[in-house]
Amino acid sequence: MPEAPLLIRRQRVPGWLSALCYAGGLILGLAIAAGLLMALGVPGPSLWDEFIVETFLTSDGLSQTLTAMIPLALVGLGSALAMRVGFWNIGISGQLWMGAVAATWVSLHGIGPGALRLPLMLVLSCLAGAAWVGLPLLLRLKWNVSEVITTLMLGSIAFLWVQHLLFGAWRDTTTGFANSRSFAPEERLPLLGWGHLHAGIWIVLGVTLLGVLVMATSRVGFYARAVGLNPRAARAAGLPVLGTIAGLVLASGALCGLAGAVIVTGTEYRLSQTIGGDYLFSGIVIAFLARSQLLAVLVVAFVLGGFYTTGNVLKMFYGVSEAVVLLTQGIVLLTVLSAQLFSTYRIERRGNA
Amino acid sequence: MTPSDTSGRGRAPALLMRDIDKAFDGHPALTGAGFRLEYGHVHALVGENGAGKSTIMNVATAVYAADAGEVIVDGYGTALRTPAEALSAGLGMVHQHFRLVGRFTVAENVALALGGAGQPCSLSEAARRVREKAAELDFRLDPHARVERLSIAEQQRAEVLRVLLLGARILILDEPTAVLTAAEARALLALVRRLADEGRAVALVTHKLHEVAGYCDRVTIMRQGRTVLAAAEVAGADLNDFARLAVGELPDTPRPAPVTPGAPLLEIENLSVRRGDGSAAVEGLSLSLRAGEILGIAGVGGNGQPELVDCLSGLSPAVAGTVRLAGQEATRAPVRRRRRAGLAVIPADRSDSALIGGLPLAQNLALTGVWRGAFGPFWWLNKARMRRAAETAITERDIRGGGVATPAGLLSGGNAQKLLLARELGPGARVIVAHSPSRGLDLRATRAVHDALRQAVREGAACLLISEDLEEIMTLSNRIAVMNHGRLSAPMPVAEASAQALGALMAGHA
Repeated sequence: MPEAPLLIRRQRVPGWLSALCYAGGLILGLAIAAGLLMALGVPGPSLWDEFIVETFLTSDGLSQTLTAMIPLALVGLGSALAMRVGFWNIGISGQLWMGAVAATWVSLHGIGPGALRLPLMLVLSCLAGAAWVGLPLLLRLKWNVSEVITTLMLGSIAFLWVQHLLFGAWRDTTTGFANSRSFAPEERLPLLGWGHLHAGIWIVLGVTLLGVLVMATSRVGFYARAVGLNPRAARAAGLPVLGTIAGLVLASGALCGLAGAVIVTGTEYRLSQTIGGDYLFSGIVIAFLARSQLLAVLVVAFVLGGFYTTGNVLKMFYGVSEAVVLLTQGIVLLTVLSAQLFSTYRIERRGNA
Repeated sequence: MTPSDTSGRGRAPALLMRDIDKAFDGHPALTGAGFRLEYGHVHALVGENGAGKSTIMNVATAVYAADAGEVIVDGYGTALRTPAEALSAGLGMVHQHFRLVGRFTVAENVALALGGAGQPCSLSEAARRVREKAAELDFRLDPHARVERLSIAEQQRAEVLRVLLLGARILILDEPTAVLTAAEARALLALVRRLADEGRAVALVTHKLHEVAGYCDRVTIMRQGRTVLAAAEVAGADLNDFARLAVGELPDTPRPAPVTPGAPLLEIENLSVRRGDGSAAVEGLSLSLRAGEILGIAGVGGNGQPELVDCLSGLSPAVAGTVRLAGQEATRAPVRRRRRAGLAVIPADRSDSALIGGLPLAQNLALTGVWRGAFGPFWWLNKARMRRAAETAITERDIRGGGVATPAGLLSGGNAQKLLLARELGPGARVIVAHSPSRGLDLRATRAVHDALRQAVREGAACLLISEDLEEIMTLSNRIAVMNHGRLSAPMPVAEASAQALGALMAGHA
């Protein structure tokens, strides 16, 4: 009978080993995904072409990938912030919807002077996203209600509300389609003159930089680490545990709301039923793959942006369903997380004493 | 083979371990260690924390695989590769943390274990066997009681019973009396003695030398992963020799000197605290603690001590009464206000409630200073200052096993406690609440803890020492009180406290 090997937990995980396992998991996941696509009839060479060359190495592809990356990075950052204090924000898409609704509301009601319209839309979307995660946060902190359930459910409520608006009061009366009328030019994020890439990329870079600075140099990062690792000890030491959790979770909701505003003001120019997409799943995948590190979120979001670019092409030219993009993300997440086993544990064959 | 066949001496030893090496990720835990256990004996395995006692027993029961050496059961050198194989060879271990399912009844646990060992039986059959075995061993245990509702001592009996029903002839108990009251410990040791007299072999891992003297035939002493005394006869031996072998040196314990206490720093009046389930944990507790003194609160565990500590720390609310810290009303004060007033806490479970294992030493030390602004303003944390403070603390408190950037979770128990002392017993500490501060530590680390507390008190702090270890209380305290069912006896000076009087108070007879 073959002996099951022994798993021995490592006292310390060296950095190179952790990196090696991560890379190994990533490569394996991509290989499986590639195999899957080839089985679906996409020829191998064009897979390379579509995945690497057309998404990252050509000007058109790169601008498309960067554009796709913008909301992905924002939800990834949001997800990572909440994860750091042990709060499972599974309502990313709901907060994103609420952010998009808030931005659209400002546009539809023409609130504020034209010059301040866009900033107002962005700020209000942050507040809406934060408010939408605020309720689950309150329930969790006050009565220990599981945020996994409440954030997830509020996500559905947000989507249903968007449908209610789009099939009702906000329906575009000129076309009759279930989306809002399109935004005025001053309500749109300016294009940068490179494909569809818009000023949202500066927002992403600015937010990331701010986040990294705050986490690295202020008490916020210090508190967040302590609270994330051991809330009881942090509380006993006098740290503001509730404040830290609340601050980071509200920031998480705000970023997801901002992502919604960036989508409607940067690429769609209107509220429609399709903008929410797969951001819930992708946000969690990004935060996990980036191990909640904000700079890493940017990198992972960029790569995932490439997935979406490729996904569009594959759908158009090879008739492969868009779901393949999600499937690929899922496979890679699975292999990378599984590969962690090899850095967490040492594997030994049983010695026959 | 039944136990009665095995009473004959002079046969192959029940368990023979030779030249065992075991390292964890490069850190040796056992180096050429050995152990020889005979049927009919209670064999004590003694040593300080980290000496390798639990490790060698885990090797015996194949929880760990040895890197080198041999394990021979009943004279057969068959390699045992899993705890299940060890069990079927007759080796059963009662761990410090019981391996019972809390939600199951005793009978269900036994049925589960028997099924897992390939001897499935019905629940009624399991209940019958539990009753029979309990009657045979002369103790009470309701087979239909849910394990989580049982007292620790009862859970332990259930665990012993389960291991016996699984057919263990060689029984290993890992520090079984650590969690028991004195009376419960005596009952358990008597049970163990009886199991050995019936022909089984019992290995008793213990810290406590008096248990060796009263109940054991042989003693093996380990120090730093090596066997320093192998299977010595207990009868006629001098316990002090054993102690010296186990610890290398015997500490002289200075008696507390008489003090002239200063101003009252902690005043508690009629304090009541409830547990999470609403039951009363502390009831009408009053005390006054003055600068320069240590007030020891003795008592059996589970009489409201952790709830009292949590309430004083500001982690759980008082339902009645008042608390004043250094003259300030603090009954409902948040943790920060208490700490600003000079409160320092050394909780019983430091890795749960005081230290953050995943954070580096330096950050653990800074945990209480950062929010006070000791390491710079809100938006700018001075990491260099944090490192320097940590370097100083590491040198001053002799913290070994890591530098400023080492995660605190990698420190040994003693060094982790020194780290906590370095943080809590700074110059600002005025009221120190210490709960079992030396529990689980070896003698050297215990001494460091005691010296640090005495030092802090000499410098003008007041210390409330809550401990189940009477010796610790007697060594350190100027006054002593006893906590029983959430109530506190009137404190008495240490000179007037006899072990008998305190014992009576603890048992609730006085």
